[in-house]
Amino acid sequence: MKRRSGRTAAAAILACGMLAAGTGVAGLVMVSHTGHGAVLPGAPTAIAAPRGRRAALPETAAMPATAVARPVSLVIPAIGVRTRLIRLGVAPGGGLQVPKTTTVAGWYTRSPRPGAIGSAIIAGHIDSYRGPGIFFRLHQLRPGERVFVRRGDGTLAVFRVTSVRTYLKDHFPTAEVYGPVPDAQLRLITCGGTFDPALGSYLSNVVVYAVAAR
Amino acid sequence: MVRPLAVLGLSLGLLGYAAPAASAAPAISASKGIGWLRLAHLSPNTPPVDVYLYSFGNAHAMIVLKHVAYGTVSGYQSVKSGDYTVAMRSAGAAASSKPVLSTSVDVTAGDAYTVAGMGPLSGLRLQVMRDRLTTPPGKALVRVIQASLQQHQVTVTAGKQVLAAKESFAKVSSYQVVSPGTWNVRAAGASESAASRVTLAAGSIHTFVVLDHPGHLWITSLEDAAGSKVFPEGGAATGFGGTAARPGASPAPWLVTLALGLLLALAGASRLRRQPRRAALVARGRMR
Repeated sequence: MKRRSGRTAAAAILACGMLAAGTGVAGLVMVSHTGHGAVLPGAPTAIAAPRGRRAALPETAAMPATAVARPVSLVIPAIGVRTRLIRLGVAPGGGLQVPKTTTVAGWYTRSPRPGAIGSAIIAGHIDSYRGPGIFFRLHQLRPGERVFVRRGDGTLAVFRVTSVRTYLKDHFPTAEVYGPVPDAQLRLITCGGTFDPALGSYLSNVVVYAVAAR
Repeated sequence: MVRPLAVLGLSLGLLGYAAPAASAAPAISASKGIGWLRLAHLSPNTPPVDVYLYSFGNAHAMIVLKHVAYGTVSGYQSVKSGDYTVAMRSAGAAASSKPVLSTSVDVTAGDAYTVAGMGPLSGLRLQVMRDRLTTPPGKALVRVIQASLQQHQVTVTAGKQVLAAKESFAKVSSYQVVSPGTWNVRAAGASESAASRVTLAAGSIHTFVVLDHPGHLWITSLEDAAGSKVFPEGGAATGFGGTAARPGASPAPWLVTLALGLLLALAGASRLRRQPRRAALVARGRMR
């Protein structure tokens, strides 16, 4: 009886030890696979600037809003983005609705159409639970780089990046991002900054500001 | 209605492209250091003019708009904040000639301005208007420029809402808050009236201009600025963290767990090895 209990205890200690060691190994493997270093994809596949008829910009205040067709796709050669654009509204909680998948971007339908007077809004995910999303490299855009939006009628709206900003979500500049502007502008929105695992969300948003290129 | 206004705006854009100073201006930022200017000719009996825009102290014009006729409003041109001079010359006059009129504009970053030739030819003046760029939530803003000389006083309505009551020639109304929708807009003078259907979106700002057209009154709507109809609350939930560097992503805790686990496993294994030996000794002792 004594003998068996001694053996059982020793076996239990061995098992616990192996289990802990295994956990340690698993943890090390997990750590090495998360973090930016491990998941950075290679250089973006070369994407050429799209060609096509550039729609006349709304040079006059008198041009009716209906002159601009809905946006259907987005190309940003500098960061290897090429995606169709889905439609986004307002989420039930009052925030901006975001795409269900992380592989497409979306145009906020309550914002002006890209190329019309006003600040058009396009949002996309920086990542999924597993890896990079469509706007993973958005923060790498630099002033002067081009953004192309193809419209439903086949025309292209061409924008030039003017600035890239990171804001804490708690201090998101709603009026600056969504408010009226007197010329054709574009804002691209994704997440950035620190990820809070407890909240399951990033603490900041990256906003790229662009204006219609002439 | 739109056509007489459309022509010049395009040329302003093209000229802006041709003028390096103008096209380079917005490169700093969309929100910092940039303002907007547009130019208009709203004097009914003044012949076409050439309009020049100078950065203050620079004799070389940034933008030149040729042969600008009554009723023309350009699109907005983004410019660096600072002082500018707008000068008007008779159409075709030499750029070096003395301007008929000029005025200075101090452009503040983030603000928009309309510089318009206003009044009758005999009292022509350049008026600088600061244009609003914010609306109350869910509403549109409209103001009225009364540029009809034939109808000295004009009342402008959108549906039943009065936007400008008996507005005198060459006056600019204050901004009125209007509910979004498609409105029957009417301008009524003493002997003539004009009507138009205009859609006003929430978050947009408009200027209605009352004009003399050959033989009748005319009203046109300019969309000055537009934003989102509804402002979403807060930031956007555009990430799941799959590529985030987590604060706790250090390998140290896992290394400690691994080391302790290995020690524990070794201890357990050695104990296990000793156990059968002891048991065998005990058994042998009993046999003796």
